[in-house]
Amino acid sequence: MKIIKSLLAGASLALVASITQAATSGNTLASVDPEADRIALQSFFQKRFPQVPLDDYVNGIYALDSGSREQWEEIEEFPPYEFDVEEGEVLFNTAFANGKSYADCFANGGVGIRQNFPRWEDSQGKVVTLELAINQCREANGEKKLGWKKGKIAQISAYMAYTSRDNVFDVQIPNDEAKAAYLDGKQSFYTRRGQLNMSCANCHVAGSKVLIRADLPGPALGHVTHFPVFRSKWGNLGTLQRRYGGCQKNVRGVPQKAQSEKLRNLEFFQTYMSNGLVVNGPGARK
Amino acid sequence: MKKTISLVAALMMVSGGVAAQSFDDAFNAQRGMYGKGHSFTFEGQTYTTDHPEEVAAAAEANAANAEALLADAKAMYADVLAVDFGWTLTKGLLKSANKALEAGDFRKSMQLSARAQYHSRMGIAQYHQSQQEWIMAVPN
Repeated sequence: MKIIKSLLAGASLALVASITQAATSGNTLASVDPEADRIALQSFFQKRFPQVPLDDYVNGIYALDSGSREQWEEIEEFPPYEFDVEEGEVLFNTAFANGKSYADCFANGGVGIRQNFPRWEDSQGKVVTLELAINQCREANGEKKLGWKKGKIAQISAYMAYTSRDNVFDVQIPNDEAKAAYLDGKQSFYTRRGQLNMSCANCHVAGSKVLIRADLPGPALGHVTHFPVFRSKWGNLGTLQRRYGGCQKNVRGVPQKAQSEKLRNLEFFQTYMSNGLVVNGPGARK
Repeated sequence: MKKTISLVAALMMVSGGVAAQSFDDAFNAQRGMYGKGHSFTFEGQTYTTDHPEEVAAAAEANAANAEALLADAKAMYADVLAVDFGWTLTKGLLKSANKALEAGDFRKSMQLSARAQYHSRMGIAQYHQSQQEWIMAVPN
């Protein structure tokens, strides 16, 4: 009888545990709570690296590893993205054939607005990243789209980020459609892919500052704040969506297309996680 | 004290009950330990540690079998791409299988097709598993 009672007690505990998990995790539109997710992620990192101030996470792995930080600070003395920002400014201010320019497409003339992207656009029923908005601006003014991953689009994005430095990320989720996009991005972030069966979170939550061969993955918190980045590996400037594709290839998964719905939603989720942190792009990374 | 021990034992029994070994677990354990071509018993039945694709690839090496296996592998690759869970090496394997088929090396073609098909089957399984499990990785 005692054993039966204990079995019942054990089963009840297991049931309670599973209900608690379902109530707090948020894997449905009804239960997902972006703000709770953001606070949970922050608290995960604050518990894991208690000596690191929250606002330092914008510096990625350099907030966590002093050796890497030393090298990075030396690189930043002559930032490798400097010429790209200058070129981006020229491109941004060059008029289209119809006489208009990028400034006509964005709030505040496109200056100091990086922190509001990606944003949910009701009129389009989708998440619009800064790079997508740049190309939409071009098309609306009769120009051809730019490639999504590097070159001119990254330079223009870098200039716009540069004009937004120190502005605080403030991604909004205004309605259920936006929340569904957020949830889709959240699922993508935590879903294992590829032959190596790894998710973004494997490297950038549990695996941040854990050696993968000679590399130390950065923390997910603050991940997006410094994009676009000049990566030493690339030898040039690239967008966040370029990096997503590279990560997916690294785990031997067929990469999703840059600016596809999946990757825009992923960027939406990731940027929301960094709400409250400042824009510090463009950045330099290994 | 006795109550505590009973409770712990009960909890262990509950968790043991939930985690009863499935056929897939048994297969994977045996495959991991002994590789392919090994026999094992599960719930009174005898099985081998061969993947279905390896069984198909062991058929007689001829043009008809090689073509059929390549067609199956291509179809399953389309299926895994449809759920967006393809693996990077699969396309190259299919290309090499096609090349071997054209060169008349049917055995090689069948082995490559089988490997490509296995990748796709695993990618589809990964997709289904991830739908259930991703939430467990979220910090809360």
